Amino acid sequence: MSHQLPAILFLLPLFAAISMPVVCLKHRHWSHPISVATLAVMVLGSILNLHNVINYGEVRYVFSGWTVPFGIEWVADGLASIILVLLSSLGFLGVVFTGPTSPKALGGRIVHYYILILLLLSALTGIVLARDLFNLFVFMEVAAISSYALIGVAGGRALFAAFRYLIFGNLGAFLYLLGVSYLYALTGTLNMTDMVDRLPFLLSSKALVGGLLFMFIGLGIKMALVPFHAWMPEAYAHAPDSTSPILASLLTKIALLAWVRIVYWVLNASIVAYGIPILLLVAVFGALAAVIGASLALAQRDIKMMFAYGGISHIGIILIGIGQGNQTGFVGGVFYLLNDAVMQAALFFLAGVAFCHYGIRNIDDIGRVGKQAPWLTGSLVIIALGMVGLPPTGGFFGKWNIILGALEAGNYVSVAAVVLSTLLTLAYFVKLFEGIFCQTSTRLDVQFGEIPLSFKMTLGVTSAAIILLGLFSSPIVQLLLNHALPPRF
Amino acid sequence: MVDAFLAVLQRPNFLTVVIIFVWGFYIMVTRYNLVKKLIGMYLIQTSVIFFLVSISAKKGATVPILLSTTEPVKSTIYANPLPHVMTLTAIVVGVATLGVGLALCAAIYKKYGSLDEEEIIKKLE
Repeated sequence: MSHQLPAILFLLPLFAAISMPVVCLKHRHWSHPISVATLAVMVLGSILNLHNVINYGEVRYVFSGWTVPFGIEWVADGLASIILVLLSSLGFLGVVFTGPTSPKALGGRIVHYYILILLLLSALTGIVLARDLFNLFVFMEVAAISSYALIGVAGGRALFAAFRYLIFGNLGAFLYLLGVSYLYALTGTLNMTDMVDRLPFLLSSKALVGGLLFMFIGLGIKMALVPFHAWMPEAYAHAPDSTSPILASLLTKIALLAWVRIVYWVLNASIVAYGIPILLLVAVFGALAAVIGASLALAQRDIKMMFAYGGISHIGIILIGIGQGNQTGFVGGVFYLLNDAVMQAALFFLAGVAFCHYGIRNIDDIGRVGKQAPWLTGSLVIIALGMVGLPPTGGFFGKWNIILGALEAGNYVSVAAVVLSTLLTLAYFVKLFEGIFCQTSTRLDVQFGEIPLSFKMTLGVTSAAIILLGLFSSPIVQLLLNHALPPRF
Repeated sequence: MVDAFLAVLQRPNFLTVVIIFVWGFYIMVTRYNLVKKLIGMYLIQTSVIFFLVSISAKKGATVPILLSTTEPVKSTIYANPLPHVMTLTAIVVGVATLGVGLALCAAIYKKYGSLDEEEIIKKLE
């Protein structure tokens, strides 16, 4: 049973998605409880899976009994299991959050919406677990197609944003496929574990460099890395409020995780291609993204746009950590990835509550609700602490480890980039708080009612998680050090 | 330089891949009509799929089905089936994306009454 668990975790949302049109044909309102129940089971399953992996070692799963180089292999190792817990719990919170927002944002398309969310989550599970480069491509595309549809599902401005995302995302996916076919032509295998043994003899090959470059650009488009980020802010800002938390917290981070898998698990991390160390390239792009993303966020007036650009800068910070090539930096990067997924979810939950309940889209309007919104301002303070990276929150310990890793590698430009990005983040949150506390704008006389329970729950749980990740940072970092490090490190 | 050029001409398949890819990219970037952008996207998909087929092509090879289990397997007489399987999957993925893209185009046309990117952006503001 326990060795089937990774496949079950993938099949659970998939089967729920497939059976939903049949079950909910007559009873549209059943779709919400069914999705919540499915994802609750998935959260429990992923925790059980993490427990198994920590105690009994990684689980290797081979489909329909074909042995490794021929069949498709999935591996639930420490890193994948930790990310699965994160993925399923954020998906669960996202679906809980959807309950009260859905009538306003989605109209009559609630059943379609839940089907797409479940498909997206099962595809992301596939990306996390897959150890086959082509399998990774297929799941990436399933996730991408569901997210194009999820962004466009409510119509309106989002349609055009979704179309742009589709054009960009498809270009990225097929560049990745081109890279994969280069590597396949070079090594004759698609399995990551099998490829590791064959690559060391082929390091001087031009095809390897070309393939890696195409894969990096392709995944860079998927993870909204700075020169390729143009699709991301509009798509997330105009997406329905119930959709953007799940997309913003998971989609780009899982693409980043796929790149981490390729760099550390397939290639040896210290590989030098044509005089350029690959990891240095990753760190330089990360530094660019961290600074440029944060300065673009400073220029925004729309709350969701600002948060989306903030997400771009945090992708950069994670890449800086990953690119240092030592244990401290790697663990810091992965720990920051966990934090950032939670923080992005919290930010977009907050933006969703602000719009659905209070009708706020713009930072100038935020002061108008003032003291009537204790949950909104309270969670915003905690998220801001986390985003800027102040001590009681997880964001601080992530950045701390990344900076330690960069110092250990003697990479002072990276340290400067992290610090500069932190200052810029502080600047745009100060701008937000100015809107709330200075209250220059005229007050509205409207009395807002109590916010729904599920809004309170999602805001409360994500804010608590940001603090808890900080308080329990040393056991979590220890867990990552023990179980999530790449082999030969 | 000339040698490199001649070496490229020796491999017309890969030259075709590059031409189709760049052509598709050019259409995607320069055309304002959304359906034309989708056509460019489809050309890019086709070029990558063509590359996959090209690297697995073999002269005089047959389908990879073993006729007897006793004789040793001669790998040279069989075509490699794996890139073809990848090709099929990639085609399915591409068609699904194209379907979603056309559905979005239809919805955009219903809402804005135009498929021209500039006109839509004007109406958005």
